[in-house]
Amino acid sequence: MRRALAVLAVLLLAGPARAQTPPPQTPAETGAPAQPVPAETGAPAAPVPAPSAGKKPEASRPQNLEKMAPGVAVPILGRKVLDAAGKDMGPIVDVLVDRDGLVRAAVIDFGGFLGVGSRKIAIDWRLLQFNPHDRDAPVELALDRAEVQAAPEYKPSSQPAMIVGPPPSVEGGSVPTPEK
Amino acid sequence: MAVSEQTQDSEIGATVPRAAGRALDWLNLFVANIQTGFGPFIAVYLTTHGWTQTAIGFALSIGTVTSMASQVPAGALVDAVSRKSRVAAYSIFAFMVSALMFALSPTPIYVYLAEILHGISSCTLGPAIAAMSLALVGRRALGPRLGRNARYAAIGSGVGAALMGACGAYVSSQAIFFLTAALAAPAVLTLIPLGRIDERGAAGGGAPAMEPKRILHLLRDRRLLIFAACALLFTLANTGVLPLVAIALTKRAGDRASLLIAACIVLPQVIMALIAPHVGRIAEEKGRRGVMLLGFAMVPLRCLLFAGVTNPALTVLVQALDGVAAASFGVMVPLVTSDVAGRSGHFTLMLGAVGFAIGIGGTLGTPLAGWLADRLGDPAAFAILAAIGLAATSLVWGAMPETRLHVVAPRRSAPKRN
Repeated sequence: MRRALAVLAVLLLAGPARAQTPPPQTPAETGAPAQPVPAETGAPAAPVPAPSAGKKPEASRPQNLEKMAPGVAVPILGRKVLDAAGKDMGPIVDVLVDRDGLVRAAVIDFGGFLGVGSRKIAIDWRLLQFNPHDRDAPVELALDRAEVQAAPEYKPSSQPAMIVGPPPSVEGGSVPTPEK
Repeated sequence: MAVSEQTQDSEIGATVPRAAGRALDWLNLFVANIQTGFGPFIAVYLTTHGWTQTAIGFALSIGTVTSMASQVPAGALVDAVSRKSRVAAYSIFAFMVSALMFALSPTPIYVYLAEILHGISSCTLGPAIAAMSLALVGRRALGPRLGRNARYAAIGSGVGAALMGACGAYVSSQAIFFLTAALAAPAVLTLIPLGRIDERGAAGGGAPAMEPKRILHLLRDRRLLIFAACALLFTLANTGVLPLVAIALTKRAGDRASLLIAACIVLPQVIMALIAPHVGRIAEEKGRRGVMLLGFAMVPLRCLLFAGVTNPALTVLVQALDGVAAASFGVMVPLVTSDVAGRSGHFTLMLGAVGFAIGIGGTLGTPLAGWLADRLGDPAAFAILAAIGLAATSLVWGAMPETRLHVVAPRRSAPKRN
């Protein structure tokens, strides 16, 4: 009720070689790379069945529950993204996964004023840094504004989707990059 | 009847309480303030609450469908109710409830209800304000009065955008809706002096008969249909221009983009606030057609300029021309409709019909512009929007008759309210 679950748009352009790349940010925290979008951690009084649990008829606590600490489970739809200089880039509005269900990109609603003039831009998931200690902290992006603003708009219908990757200078630096 | 009409109008014009005129100014200002909070910003707000784009699109389309469906019935309702200030008060109260629902519980059921509430009350409030303006000054002085309405509405929109932009940037997006709700209080207060002119309005307008046959006959008035078609084409061409321009700025202008977009929103309001009273006066003294043509012609002119201009600062200047179009359009819609409605007692019903046409243009305008830009690129999209705007202007030129009353010439006392 509180939050709509992330709509996972499946990217069809992912080549076989790229599809093997695991997303470096998520697996340590979620433990399940196939479900990269964190589920809500329900309070013990009101357990929420995990998506894989299926529809069990009994109303009592299901057996197959996993715990995610509040600081670890981070809902990301609508979360603010800051650029390298700490400026607000806009909220995350969607997450793109490839055929194997691996998270490839976050779509942010970039720029604009009071909702006028913003554009949706897909950003490589590995460029986003989440703060594991603060659930409400904005997401940090290892790019600055200029590197994002010239990107083409992401459109769900248009294929292939264009994803803003790491700038050439950062290649092999602090950001983990897949071998081409 | 014609004799009593003249005396009645001049009596009203002569004894207009100053307080009611001022109250109407402020009412327009606060209502425009409030409406800014219900703009495209809602999409941003729902996004920050984890709504998906599909869900947001659905919620917003509920609002669109509601307001389309309620335009004409709301107009008829305002006609039928003699106390227009009460209609306005209920509408503003509904705005407040709607804003609070957004602020306190951005969950689907409340958001849908808030959208419906806002959609309906927008359709009753606009006509109620127009009807109160008519009741306040009479038909002979309506042009200048509507010019003032447009001026204060423009100030309200401009100040509202600045206020809410600052609120969103420095406080929170939720605070914008609390601010919107709070602004309903002064808006309702302005209705106290306006309540006193209600009885006069009822006496002047006469009790409208609601037979379906007569209403259909009224709505088939040729001038009304032509004007509605002009208004539809105008909005169709005009609505999508700002989003296209703003997206182009987001792409090109870098750090200053948000500021420039804000300027693109506020500057036309400044122009409109400056010229709207003159537009109303000229329309009353020289006629509607010239003013309408000038305003309508701004749309193709602006689109053609945008097809060539890429410099961000120049873009803002060209966008300022929208202030001329908006001032003309904002005054002409109620004024021409009032001309056409005459003393039928169905002014706001007809205003609802024109509002419906404007709603169609406004709803299709932004997706059309986006679609064109997507397929053909910005310059071609602007060229096509210019063509639509030119079609609207040509329709005014070729088919729209002058609707001003012909007996207006000897009155010199009317434009004193400025």
